[in-house]
Amino acid sequence: MIGNMRETMRHIPEDELHSYLDQALSRSQCVEIESHLAACESCRRARDNIAALRDRTTALLATLAPPRRFSPSIDVVRERASERATHRHRRRRAMAWAASVVAALGLGWWANTYVSHAQPATTAVAPDRRPAPADRAPVPRDAIPVAHGHAGTADDGAVEMRADHPAKALGSAAPTQPIRLVAMPRVAEPPRLELSTASLPTSSSEPALGGIWRTLSWAGAQTERGDSVPHIDGLPVVEVQVGQAGAAAGSKSIMVVAQQLASGEVIRTIEGPAADVSQLLNSRPGAQNPSPWPTAADPGIAGGDGAMAMRHGDRMLAITAQLSNDSLRAMMRRLNAEMRGR
Amino acid sequence: MDDLEQLYQTTYSAVVRFLYRKVWDADRAEDLAQEVFVRALAHRPEKPRAWVFAVAANLARDEARAAIRRKRHLTLLTGDPGQGPTPNIAADDQVEHDERLQAVRDALESLTPRDKEVLLLWDAGLSYPEIAEQTGLAVGAVGTTLARARKRLVDAYDRQHARDHAAYS
Repeated sequence: MIGNMRETMRHIPEDELHSYLDQALSRSQCVEIESHLAACESCRRARDNIAALRDRTTALLATLAPPRRFSPSIDVVRERASERATHRHRRRRAMAWAASVVAALGLGWWANTYVSHAQPATTAVAPDRRPAPADRAPVPRDAIPVAHGHAGTADDGAVEMRADHPAKALGSAAPTQPIRLVAMPRVAEPPRLELSTASLPTSSSEPALGGIWRTLSWAGAQTERGDSVPHIDGLPVVEVQVGQAGAAAGSKSIMVVAQQLASGEVIRTIEGPAADVSQLLNSRPGAQNPSPWPTAADPGIAGGDGAMAMRHGDRMLAITAQLSNDSLRAMMRRLNAEMRGR
Repeated sequence: MDDLEQLYQTTYSAVVRFLYRKVWDADRAEDLAQEVFVRALAHRPEKPRAWVFAVAANLARDEARAAIRRKRHLTLLTGDPGQGPTPNIAADDQVEHDERLQAVRDALESLTPRDKEVLLLWDAGLSYPEIAEQTGLAVGAVGTTLARARKRLVDAYDRQHARDHAAYS
């Protein structure tokens, strides 16, 4: 095009002169324009005018500049980018956390709605209100309560009362006087390490296992037993007691840890020589005879009427609480799993 | 020194200037320029020079919209601390200096958005193909647009300057 223009001696368009002065043309286009300029005074004047316009534009724009300052180091920009990335990461984590809370709340609501269909269990403070077996409403088989990490919820007292194994639920028709598990007050003061007479068991009719028990602080119990202190994770500990007698030489003596559910009910986990544990369990008022406790030959979970136990060789792990047998069985499984994991 | 750091060294001032002519606030222009390079660090664009000016233009556009919403975007140059008085200028000269700046600014603002954008991008050092890519123009149309924008800017400034002189004479 430019070549044709030069051949016909047409002048160079202004926009092409702008492009030429802005060095936006190819080398061959520049050569053609320069050849024409050499022969065309009019286009040379136009070029000079455009060059002046261009310079003037540059000068005018140059007045519209901010005060000259030192450019910040790129490290400043890098730091800002890093903070931005961290902020984004935190925001993503917060969103994920919020989503998990919403999911947990939803699950809790669902569980609450579901479990609330089960008949509420009687609490230890009012055992006489416990409904008779004939009054118990049937519940789905899959409504077996599971002990959660935060087991101290009001729902712990609202679990099914059905006995899956009637032969083992021997205590259901018997007087349901628990072994002084009733109305355990929340402990406000820190546990103390001291010697005391037994506060458990309490019944005057039961053997006292030598009669001497030590009450330990939680820290003291952990110091003495390490991770093998029987307890359920997530529940406040209100009392730890260790039997002083009855254990075979060289073996750990019986230990009873009382913990409190959010409903106020006390659940006790017991670990010790099988003979001592079964003796303690049998000492409860209304305990079954013959003993329903697991034996060395049949170590699986067994019990009833507020107590459940299982054997580990010559040791026995047990739970007592005024809960249904199924609840106790589930708590027993959980306790066993936790003890194995420690 | 990586490519982006090199670009930062050579382009940061041009980006600040480009932004200042759009937001008319020196501090804000610097802040937005840093934001541009923060984003460049995160995105690692293939054509970084054109990319940073494209992002700068977008940020300035958002800023202008926000300023319109706040109804405070027409800050007088005399009240703009970023412009600042030139040192050692007498009071009368200062007034004339401010008027001249205001005339240039008015002349620039009198251009169409496309003409102004092309002119500022060219002044920032972008090539015709880069300007074309950013504005959507054909490369061949960039020279035409620039020719028109330069002429209109100078004409508008001369008219404004002539009016100011007529008012004082």
